[in-house]
Amino acid sequence: MKDIRGTLVSEGAGGVYGERMLEGCRVWDPYRSKLSALWYLDKSTDLQKDEVVLYLGAANGTTVSHVADYTECVYAVEFAPRPMQDLLAVSARRKNIIPIFGDATRPKEYAALLEPADMVYQDVAQPNQAAIAIRHLPFLKKGGRLILMLKTRSVDIRKTPEEVFAESCAELEAAGLTVEKALWLNPYHIDHAAIVCRK
Amino acid sequence: MNWYGNSGSYSTDVSEASARVRNNTDSSPKHLCDWKELQSAGLVSSRKEYISAVRNVAQAMAEEGIAAALSEKDTELLQMVRMLDELDEVINLLTERLTEWHQSTTPDSSRKYNRAASKKFIQTIAKSKNLSMRQVAREILSLTNLRLQLMKDVSRMADEVIPNMSALVGGLVAARLVSRAGGLTLISRMAASSIQVLGAESALFSHIRSGSPSPKHGLIFQHRRVHNAPRGVRGKVARILAAKLAIAARIDAFRGELDEAFLADANEKIDRMMEEAA
Repeated sequence: MKDIRGTLVSEGAGGVYGERMLEGCRVWDPYRSKLSALWYLDKSTDLQKDEVVLYLGAANGTTVSHVADYTECVYAVEFAPRPMQDLLAVSARRKNIIPIFGDATRPKEYAALLEPADMVYQDVAQPNQAAIAIRHLPFLKKGGRLILMLKTRSVDIRKTPEEVFAESCAELEAAGLTVEKALWLNPYHIDHAAIVCRK
Repeated sequence: MNWYGNSGSYSTDVSEASARVRNNTDSSPKHLCDWKELQSAGLVSSRKEYISAVRNVAQAMAEEGIAAALSEKDTELLQMVRMLDELDEVINLLTERLTEWHQSTTPDSSRKYNRAASKKFIQTIAKSKNLSMRQVAREILSLTNLRLQLMKDVSRMADEVIPNMSALVGGLVAARLVSRAGGLTLISRMAASSIQVLGAESALFSHIRSGSPSPKHGLIFQHRRVHNAPRGVRGKVARILAAKLAIAARIDAFRGELDEAFLADANEKIDRMMEEAA
């Protein structure tokens, strides 16, 4: 990924959400986007020009637009109608975003649109986040990456974030993934963790 | 099944493809899309064209899906309830600030001891000599009228969209419950115990986390049969009312029309319980 003097940026077809520009590039704010936060904490995070990304929990398409700047194409899944309207507007300007209006807990409803992905990126506010990720493994190429942005507070409010984190990692390992990196996104996002796995 | 079809019979037609995606029943397809299949069938010449073709299908489906979701009859009701709550907040903030302002300019007024009823007080300020103060007061009065009008609209719409819930607890409370739950479908799937404490989330979570007393009622406290009930039986009333509301929500979601027999039965049960308790 590209940075200008330590600030993460991406190059693409103009601004999407009023982001700051730096030398003609779009600044990718770590406080708004968890993937950007992950890059600031671990500089080995990267996106490749030829990658196909399956993005679960696309929301308004802010992070999606940055991912699309770096990769070949993004299959962006979102299930709430209001943010989906924004995502459609974003994808109107970016020809490599494929907006899918579907529920990530039921991949079968949009499975027919997907192709094998090099990376699955997940950022959903659901209690069963690890299970949702595992349900999408058939769409991930062998050797592909899974980046799970774990919202610990959405999983179980009665458990501490650390417990949720450990349980989710164990669940992913049990599904046959190798957890390569697992870190907290402090100070950018509180009680959020990033888990990077390989299939 | 892939969006472009199976075993040689391919097409990139948007409506055909949407139908294929919708009718797909494989939970994890053994055979994922492969753009090269389409290329060798001569339907697309490049990777770029494939992406644009699948994008067309996805976009059309998304537009359809959004249109369907927005045409759900409760969508507008939700927005109206939220607007009503915002209006309340704005009116209260402005009134509070205006009162403070007025007091600081009139040494003989004491807010605590001779404050007239809020609306009358604002009406007095609306005749004040200070032009800006007068205008703020008028804005508050006109917002108050707007609020009243919107409240009637919400009630009327609730009677139409959620007739059974409205008949049990009144349109306004019913609409607030649905809004807090996030929609009619969502509330119709809720357990009665969840409906009972809707709106008392912070008390509920503090109960779960640290064992403080559990909340007896959330939003349904606003209904007269709950807040007029004697303190000792309020929890009981709230529980029975919530149980009936859960049923009413399901009737509203799946049938959508008034069920007189259910309502008579539910109201009778609640009233009988209250009589026994009194």
